[in-house]
Amino acid sequence: MVNFIEVARRAETGPMIAEEDFDMKKIAMKLRELRKELDIKFDPNEPVNTDLTLADDLWDLGLRFFLETGIYCVNTRRLMLFEENEVKHALKNVRDRLEIGEGKDRRVLYPRGIEDSTPPIIFGGPFNCDVTEEVFVPMNEAYAREEIIDVLFLPGYLKKMYGLEIRPTSGLSPQTVILYAKWTREALSRAGRPGMPVVAHALMGMHEIGVSNEEWGLRKTDPRAIVMLPELKIDDVSLVRLGYYIATGPPIYIAFTPLVGGFAGDPVTVAIVSVAEHIAAVMLNGDIIHLGPQHIKYKSQTNIHSLWVASRVKQAVSKNSKMIHTTSHTTAGRPGSKQFAYEFAALEIAVVTAGSHVSGPRPADLKYDNHNSPLMARLFGEIAHAAAKIKLETANEIVLELYKKYKDKLDFQVSPVGKPFEELYDLDTLQPKPEHLKEYEEVKRELEELGLEL
Amino acid sequence: MVDKEELFKKMQEAIYNYDKDLAVKLAKEAIEAGIDPLEAIEKGFAVAIRELGEKFDRMEIFLPELIMGADAMKAAVDILKEEIVRRGQKVEKKGVVVIGTVEGDIHDIGKTIVIAMLQSAGFDVYDLGKDVPIPRFLQAAEEVNADIIAASALLTTTMMKQRDLIEYLKSQGKRDKYFVIVGGAPCSQKWADEIGADGYARDAIEAVKLCERLMEQKKKKGA
Repeated sequence: MVNFIEVARRAETGPMIAEEDFDMKKIAMKLRELRKELDIKFDPNEPVNTDLTLADDLWDLGLRFFLETGIYCVNTRRLMLFEENEVKHALKNVRDRLEIGEGKDRRVLYPRGIEDSTPPIIFGGPFNCDVTEEVFVPMNEAYAREEIIDVLFLPGYLKKMYGLEIRPTSGLSPQTVILYAKWTREALSRAGRPGMPVVAHALMGMHEIGVSNEEWGLRKTDPRAIVMLPELKIDDVSLVRLGYYIATGPPIYIAFTPLVGGFAGDPVTVAIVSVAEHIAAVMLNGDIIHLGPQHIKYKSQTNIHSLWVASRVKQAVSKNSKMIHTTSHTTAGRPGSKQFAYEFAALEIAVVTAGSHVSGPRPADLKYDNHNSPLMARLFGEIAHAAAKIKLETANEIVLELYKKYKDKLDFQVSPVGKPFEELYDLDTLQPKPEHLKEYEEVKRELEELGLEL
Repeated sequence: MVDKEELFKKMQEAIYNYDKDLAVKLAKEAIEAGIDPLEAIEKGFAVAIRELGEKFDRMEIFLPELIMGADAMKAAVDILKEEIVRRGQKVEKKGVVVIGTVEGDIHDIGKTIVIAMLQSAGFDVYDLGKDVPIPRFLQAAEEVNADIIAASALLTTTMMKQRDLIEYLKSQGKRDKYFVIVGGAPCSQKWADEIGADGYARDAIEAVKLCERLMEQKKKKGA
C-alpha cells in the first residue's frame, strides 16, 4: 500500500494539467483508444454477463488505463500517478477481512466471488436523502430495527436546522453534524442495536472529522464515506477527511459514480473507467469500495446501460482482486411504488451474482424530504440474499423480466412519485402502514414467481 | 465554381466527424467563394450541430463527441462571423449567457452539456467555471453585457447559493437587468419559483428552450 502521506504529496507535486484536458485527453480520448482492444458491444438483451473471459480482459484494460491516468486533484490541478509495482503491491495487500461495528452487532466483511452463495453484506438506510429534524431518529431507528440490514447506510442529510438550510461552511454546521452523530447513535440504541456499524457522511465538509467520538459520535468501527468525482477525480475536502480518518483509524468507504454518456462515453468505455476507479479507491486506502453506475440521461442507476456496466465491472473486480466492494442502488421509481422495488431488484440481482455487496436503495430524484422506506430496505436485503443463490443465466433472465416492468418509466417526469416515510409508516409504532406492507408482499410474490427464493 | 450545396454538405460532415481543422478550412473556402456567411452557418454547420444535439439526447453519441462537435462549430463560426462583420451584415444575436456552478460546488458535467447545447443553438456563452463566488456572476454579466445569468448547483447543500445570487442582484439594484435561471439535480420549478428565479431547466435541451423563450420575451418587451 502506498502510504497516504505519499498519496497526499502527489496531489501537491504531481504533473499539472488543465481539467478540460484531463477530461478530454486523459479520459475521453484514451478510453476511445483502449476500447478498440476489447471485443465487446453493448447488448441490451444481456444485462448480466455470462462470458467470464470478459472479466479478465476488462480488468487488464482498467488497470492499464489507471496506470496511465492516475487520479486528478481538482483543486491543485495535479495528477496523482502510481507505478505498476505500487498498484500491484496495494492490490495484493488490500484488506480482505474487515470487522466493523461492535459487540453482537459487529459484522465481518469478506470479498465475494462470482456466483458466490455467501450472502452479501446489506448496507441499508436513508442513503442521504434529505431528512427532517423530527423524523431523523425514528426513521433511522426503523432502519436499524430491520435485522437483515447489517450496516446503517448514510443516516440522512439534515437539510434544515433551526428553520434554516445549513451550509457546510456555516457556523451552524458543527452543531448540525454533532446532532447527526448523536441522533444516529440514539436511533441505534432505541432499536436495540447499539453496536450496529454506520457508514457516515453528513455532507458537512471538514466539520465531520469533529464528531469522531466513541461515547456519543462516530466510532472507530464506523466506516467513513468519501466520494470521488467522475471520472477519477478527487477534491481537497475529501483528501482532508481521508487524511484525518487514515490517521485516526476508522475503515474507509470510498464511493464513485462513473457516468454513462459523460466524459467516459458509452457503456463499454464506462466499464473500463469503472474498473480503474475501483483500483483508484484502493490506492486512496479505501477498505470498502462502492460503485454507483450513474447515467447522464436517466440520472439513476437501474437503466439498461447501468445494469450492463455494473454486472461486467463487478465480475471483473471480483474475479481479479480481493477487494471488498459494493454497489449503490438509485432508482427512478420512488418508495411507495412497486417500480422502486423492481428497479433495485434488477440491479442487485446483476451485481450480487457478480460478487458485490449491496448499498441502498434510494430514489435518485427526491420528491420529498424523508423520501425512503425501511421496509423497502428489508426487501432489498431479502432480494440480495436470494440473488446469492442463483446463477448468471438465471439472473439475466430475471433482470430482463424486471426491466420490462419499468423501462418505459425511467424518466423522472413519469416515474411514480411515491410517498415519504411519514406517510408509509405509522410514526407511533414505527411499523409500515397496511397498504405499504401489502405492496411489499405483492412484489415479493411477483419476484418469487420470477424464480427468486425469498 | 464552388457547388454551394456540396460545400454545405461537407460542412455538415466536418461537424459529424468532429473535425475542427476541416470545419475551419471549409469556412475559409466559403468566404473565398463569396458565399453568404450567414447562409453557410445556417445551411451548413448549424444543421449538423442540431443533429448532434438530438443524437446526444438519444444517447447515440456521448459528451466528448458533443463537446468536439460544438468546438468545431465554434471555430468555424468565429471565422464566418469576421466575414459577416466585414460585409457589414447584421448578426442577429440569440443572446448572451453567463453561466457557472455556484460557490462551494465543484460539479460541472451538467453545466458543460448546457454550454455545448447553448453554443450550438447560437448563444454566446461565458463559462465562469465552478465554485463561483456570487459577486463574480454579476461582475461577468456586467462585463459581457449578458442577458441571462445561469447558476448550476448539484448539491442540496449548495442550492441555497442560487437564492443568494438573486438576493445579491437585488441588493445591487441589478435584479431586473438580467434573467436568472437555475438548474442542477436538487433544483425544481418549485424551487425556482420560491427563490424568484426566471426559470428552471431539468436538462440541457430544456435549458436551450428556456433561454430562447426568455430572449423572445425580452424582444417583445423591447419592441
